[in-house]
Amino acid sequence: MGAIGRWLDKRLDLASIRKTLLDRKMPAGLTWWHTLGSATLAVFVVQITTGIVLAMYYSPSPDHAYDSIRFIERTVASGSLLRGIHHWGASAMVVLVVAHMIRVFTMGSYKYPREANWILGVALLCLVMAFGFTGYLLPWDQKAYWATQVGTNIAGTAPVIGGTLVTLLRGGSQLGAATLARFFALHVLLLPILLGGIVMLHLVIVVRQGIAAPPKVLEEDAPGRTDDPQYAQFYDAKYAQSKASGVRFWPDIIAKDIIVATAVILLLVILGRFFGAGLDAPADPTDSAYVPRPEWYFLPFFQLLKFVPGSMESFVAIGVPTLLVLVLLLLPFFDRRSIRSLVHRPIALTSLGGVTVACALLFGASMSEAPHTGIPQEVGHPLTSTERAGRVLFDQQQCGSCHAIAGRKAPEKNADVPDAPELTDIGLKHTAGWMHSYIEDPTRFHPDSKMPAFGPPTLSHQEIEELAQYLATLRGPHWATAQPEFRDTFPEPVKPKEK
Amino acid sequence: MASTREETVKGHDGAKQVTRRGFLRWISGIGAVVSAAVVGFPAIRAFVSPVLAAPPPDDWVKVADDIALLDVGVPVRVNFVQSTVDAWLESRTLNGVWLFTEDGEKFKAYNGHCTHLGCAYIYDKEHKDFLCPCHHGQFDVATGRVLAGPPPRPLDELEVQVRDSAVFVKYRDFRLGIAEKVEA
Repeated sequence: MGAIGRWLDKRLDLASIRKTLLDRKMPAGLTWWHTLGSATLAVFVVQITTGIVLAMYYSPSPDHAYDSIRFIERTVASGSLLRGIHHWGASAMVVLVVAHMIRVFTMGSYKYPREANWILGVALLCLVMAFGFTGYLLPWDQKAYWATQVGTNIAGTAPVIGGTLVTLLRGGSQLGAATLARFFALHVLLLPILLGGIVMLHLVIVVRQGIAAPPKVLEEDAPGRTDDPQYAQFYDAKYAQSKASGVRFWPDIIAKDIIVATAVILLLVILGRFFGAGLDAPADPTDSAYVPRPEWYFLPFFQLLKFVPGSMESFVAIGVPTLLVLVLLLLPFFDRRSIRSLVHRPIALTSLGGVTVACALLFGASMSEAPHTGIPQEVGHPLTSTERAGRVLFDQQQCGSCHAIAGRKAPEKNADVPDAPELTDIGLKHTAGWMHSYIEDPTRFHPDSKMPAFGPPTLSHQEIEELAQYLATLRGPHWATAQPEFRDTFPEPVKPKEK
Repeated sequence: MASTREETVKGHDGAKQVTRRGFLRWISGIGAVVSAAVVGFPAIRAFVSPVLAAPPPDDWVKVADDIALLDVGVPVRVNFVQSTVDAWLESRTLNGVWLFTEDGEKFKAYNGHCTHLGCAYIYDKEHKDFLCPCHHGQFDVATGRVLAGPPPRPLDELEVQVRDSAVFVKYRDFRLGIAEKVEA
């Protein structure tokens, strides 16, 4: 302790704080699995750090959110790396919280006297999921928009309160500006306060109660149930015994914690650096071809809903998560047997195995059903408003019922529908100008063309131009490298009619 | 108790040996520093990013393609669209300048706003001077000097460059209504 340390110690009694926090004895036989909680805490600190800086360059409005994310990716020094770390950090939080929970579950550590801390842990799990859900929307890209569309609609299937709930989540009847602002406020204001507060409480209780001793130590000669009047006394004696032969928190346990936390953080930096966070095209509410998928940790649940008949949907969509949380919350109260090792708890073992296998199967199924990446319809830039308007017209005029575009819904083949050229890479073959003329009156180009003329009054010239601009963006699967070779030939000019 | 806090102990041969505790402390310290550095460095770098940013690119605006096409001795008003970038906000603003040359080689450029209250002034062919229609301010075409009326200072002259017979100006706006020429 230096001079400043001594000065402070005289006034604050640092020595006793050190004794309670750092010099306290830990039970013997703690494993590397016991580092998962502190690793989660470390990632939470990483999320706070990166999140604060990201928020400095982010604008929570649909007009600017996407551009501000692009600004972070392209202009802010280390911005892309920070966003990558924050993105992978979110996944790491989920993985670590669940792993920590499984550790506590398998070792029976949620049993007497740690029921309260288990409940806080369940709350933390829910908060981490809420962080993931709200954060996913913020980039306001296609992924974000559509996953939130689906996510909020799931809440809307709740019986009785569904409609109110979805309006509440979205801040209006539609997913839009109010939703984004709301999710941003939740993500950076409310959730951090809640999570931070509960983490503090969680830690205070850990320090107060100490970490649970390994299951075996607490099982020998134990009364059968934890609500046995003798159990508390038994527990105190055994725990004290285990601590007596244990090590100190500092540096023995902290060193282990720091080694794991550092490894996790280094992994996050590597993932963030080399895989980044990714950014889809900007959110486009008119895109009917986009297949929404949530972040990976919601995939098993997302897949589950595919197997549920419509009549059962609201029951499963709301019921399953609610039931899962309820079971977790009540677990320490209906399981009061003093046995802690998983091998001696057949029901617990079967349930854990069952849930794990179910999640793995659902996850696997959703991966195998992953939409094969359609042809990127964007030629390296987000569609302009003109091009988007063209795509809407393409759907409205049902161009797609004759013309196929790979990656979009294929036309249904009816006998009376003439064969029409595929438009997958039409943008490489013809200029927008040529297409404008063609769409306006195909028979000028091919007298026996079956395509109707779309010139006025069917479509205005402006609309035809929008359509042509959109078609010009279709550049096939190799859009990034393909060079257009235009084959525009125009018919002989029509002789002006003699007056 | 005190001995366990020692980082090192004397071995049999008298050489210093690192204790288990010492090693664990050392590992913890390294881990903490590495973790803080790999996240802290990019975070701080991004925070101070605006300071690190390169100076804004050359903001000369082309106002005329060919000097040969500009009238000599008569000022011309040129309007142009300028893209301005404020972080992630890009906007297009419409601005105008008056160009004047007496010899077809040396050019003067004036900000298109009257220095009095910002109205767009015009060229008065009859009197061969600039006239602001709002409060009848009058300026000299060749120097921008105030000839009459309320304007508090001469017209705001802008930097001009001729490159490959195209005319470029460095467009700036200045505070209006005051005697000093201060950038807005």
